[in-house]
Amino acid sequence: MAFLELTNINKLFVQGHYAVDNFNLNVESGEFISFLGPSGCGKTTTLRMIAGFETPSSGSIKINRVEITNKPPNQRQIGMVFQSYALFPNMTIAGNIGFGLMLAGKKNDEIKKRLGEMLDLIHLPNYGDRYPYQLSGGQQQRVALARAIAIQPQLLLLDEPLSALDAKIRVELRSEIRRIQRELGITTIYVTHDQEEALSLSDRIVVMNSGKIEQVGTPFEIYNYPTTAFTASFVGQLNLMPITVADAASGTSTFNGIRLNTSQPTSLANGTSAKLALRPEEMNFGKVDGKNLLDGKVESITFLGSIVRTRVDIGGSMISVDLFNERKITLPQVGEQVTVNFPAHACWILE
Amino acid sequence: MTQTDSTGTPPAPSKTSSSLWAWLGLVPFFLFAIAFLFLPSLSIFINSFQDNNGSFTFKNIIDLSEPFIINAYWNSISISVITAIGGGIFGFFLAYAVTLGGMPKFARPFLTTFSGVASNFAGVPLAFAFISTLGRTGMVTVLFRDVFGINIYQAGFNLYSFWGLSLVYLYFQFPLMVLIMTPALDGLRREWREAAENLGANSFQYWRYVAMPIILPSLLGSMILLFGNSFGAYATAYSLTGGGAINLVTIVIGAQISGDVLNNQGLGYALALGMVVIMSLSLIGYSWLQRRTERWIR
Amino acid sequence: MKRGSIWAWLWFILGLIYFFLPLYATFDFSLRLKRGVLSFAAYENVFSDERFINGFTFSLQMSFWTIVVCLLLIVPTAYWVHLRLPRVRPVVELITLMPFVIPAVVLTFGLIQVYAKAYTFFGTSLPSVLSLDLFTLPGLINLRDAVAARAPITLAFPIVLIAAYTVLSFPYMYRAVDTGLRAMDVRTLTEAAQSLGADTPKILWYVIFPNLRAALLSGAFLTIAIVVGEFTFASLLVWPALGPYIQLIGANRAYEPAALSVISFAITWATLGLLQFFTPEQQGQIAGAR
Repeated sequence: MAFLELTNINKLFVQGHYAVDNFNLNVESGEFISFLGPSGCGKTTTLRMIAGFETPSSGSIKINRVEITNKPPNQRQIGMVFQSYALFPNMTIAGNIGFGLMLAGKKNDEIKKRLGEMLDLIHLPNYGDRYPYQLSGGQQQRVALARAIAIQPQLLLLDEPLSALDAKIRVELRSEIRRIQRELGITTIYVTHDQEEALSLSDRIVVMNSGKIEQVGTPFEIYNYPTTAFTASFVGQLNLMPITVADAASGTSTFNGIRLNTSQPTSLANGTSAKLALRPEEMNFGKVDGKNLLDGKVESITFLGSIVRTRVDIGGSMISVDLFNERKITLPQVGEQVTVNFPAHACWILE
Repeated sequence: MTQTDSTGTPPAPSKTSSSLWAWLGLVPFFLFAIAFLFLPSLSIFINSFQDNNGSFTFKNIIDLSEPFIINAYWNSISISVITAIGGGIFGFFLAYAVTLGGMPKFARPFLTTFSGVASNFAGVPLAFAFISTLGRTGMVTVLFRDVFGINIYQAGFNLYSFWGLSLVYLYFQFPLMVLIMTPALDGLRREWREAAENLGANSFQYWRYVAMPIILPSLLGSMILLFGNSFGAYATAYSLTGGGAINLVTIVIGAQISGDVLNNQGLGYALALGMVVIMSLSLIGYSWLQRRTERWIR
Repeated sequence: MKRGSIWAWLWFILGLIYFFLPLYATFDFSLRLKRGVLSFAAYENVFSDERFINGFTFSLQMSFWTIVVCLLLIVPTAYWVHLRLPRVRPVVELITLMPFVIPAVVLTFGLIQVYAKAYTFFGTSLPSVLSLDLFTLPGLINLRDAVAARAPITLAFPIVLIAAYTVLSFPYMYRAVDTGLRAMDVRTLTEAAQSLGADTPKILWYVIFPNLRAALLSGAFLTIAIVVGEFTFASLLVWPALGPYIQLIGANRAYEPAALSVISFAITWATLGLLQFFTPEQQGQIAGAR
């Protein structure tokens, strides 16, 4: 039995358009789950239904076996962090963080003690008397996090909390968030459209598209073993080559007449047209025995910092080959004829 | 054309000359302000402290303590405070109804447009509109008499009195409040309410601890505007009472302009000066509150 | 809160009643000139009264001149302040707030002091010091003399009246133009135009004014609404505008004032309605005489 159970959640907006369609998920206590997907995929709507700001058209939400689907938001004991921080401008930092505790009728000493703990946790001691407008974006978001946690919620929800911040702050803050979550062991749901965030923070990721769940899995599973075309192309870079299935049982296919091994059987019939999926970092240059080989011409080379990306034209299709940067790297020239290689286990057949 | 700076603005060394042009561009405006705002005000100020012979005196200011004058100020201030608070509360609730109260979409533009018209409908036509409604033979008066058997005038109501005038003033006061408060209420972000609910607050607690404190400067500032609006009003009162039944500072000054009713030139100026002082204080209060609002609601 | 609460509806309906009842009562009253029958006789009387026509056209003329003066003063000022001299902004804004601090009656008092020949200011009146003659602008209907014969103080300075009206419309005009300039990000557009080779006059003509059109229109309509309905200045400076005419009628007759109120309301509604039509983004404007 899971800590958070979302069963058959549907949310219908007007004209038969489902913002969330048949959403099922079980979350264990202490897990960090990300909802990942493009804008409009329903991730925020689902989060808001858990928080109680939207009501599902059908389905049920249970926390710790208790049905909360129709409970008002202020009775759910759920902490939420908003994209725009939503700190109360008329209260000090101390006032903000202590607000939930004050409402719950806690005594002043208890509130003070908890406040001190929270401020230490977010590394902002002595900031209690300041006002939100005196803090930077990153600081405000940390306060918002502290405010949500202060009431010791059973569930923590974060709605794209880092989108409004600079890149560098984002990276710092997200590891902060993960550290705090681990330390306190709070079950957490994190909504984001940034795959790097989702991949680096989560225990499991829920990839969503157009209101539906595409795949649920660990970051490694989502990245390396995507089960749908959408997941494969949404997360990370992906090469797609048009192929014909040669032998379904052994997972062999042909690309422009060349045999390629995938070592995974496919359910498609022999002779069907399909796509071969392959991550750019699994490829390399050179004729190596035992690997799949393809010839092509180098179209462009782009230096991305830690990665060098080479675009190769292999008989009409463009693919990317990603190599780790080295100071003494040897790269082919633009226009040069090259052979790219990749192991059979690195690629798979997509419908 | 030589290959020089093609942008039209002269390069750096001539920055002073382009600034000079800018300053010159402001001259007409400042000349106008001096001629038609500053000089008249100065004249009032100076004349308040002059007696009939042109020598300096405080007598005019002291004469303001005449019972008749005190009564005029008292009436003006009272009616302004009453209509500011009354119009403020009524206008606030209306503004709340169409922004956060969950009314249908058409309600808000309808209300703001109508408020725009109503706040401009003040003065002479408004007085006559109310006479047609609540005057001795007004429609509502007649309605009460014929349908309910109540003669409101016998019961003590009188349109041509202090309270009657207050009722009329409300007609342009609360639209003004609506127009100012609807955008201010927009500034109450939805996330604040959700964050508060999240932390366990119910509606009342949200309003008490979050929404009211945030909106209070706006609310008070608007009420100050309403106060000033009413304090300086002349046309409505004049049309309703023919410059007779109610003693207001504006009416007295107006009468003084049309003829020396006070038998004391200097007193008229002192009266006007008193008005300006009160209005300036209101403006200062308003600005201070504005700055507090802007600090929170960006 | 998505639901329309009872309280919200209650206030809304109360508001509607308070708004519409006087309007309805006035309209009803205005139709009762002929005993026992509903007719537009009161309106006929009004429209056939020469003084009404004169008063209305006079006020329209005044609003035209006021708009011209106001635009000529405000637009360049707002532009320069926005672009070159932002430090002067608080001063300019304070000046445009003056009509709030100095109510109409008080300003009239001061204007008379400075500009009338009957009073003196520091010994002599300003116009005579400057050898100025501030009499009627050419082209206006000259009813001044007719009215002046009855008034105790003869002050026939439409220049002063127009100046007073201009002061009255300062806040609205300035706010409209300032909002318009802000909305179009003057600095960036000016720089873009400059980088493409335009000089200041071209920038004003091709970039600034077209983008300000909506703001200028809204300011103009507001001014018309204000001036046509104005009473205080017109009455105290003794000019035959629409406001004093309505008041005069109201003192003497019963049904015609109601008709005039309805007409006045219709004019206000029409001007503000046109304003909404031309600038649909702006919701509701505050204006008018009190």
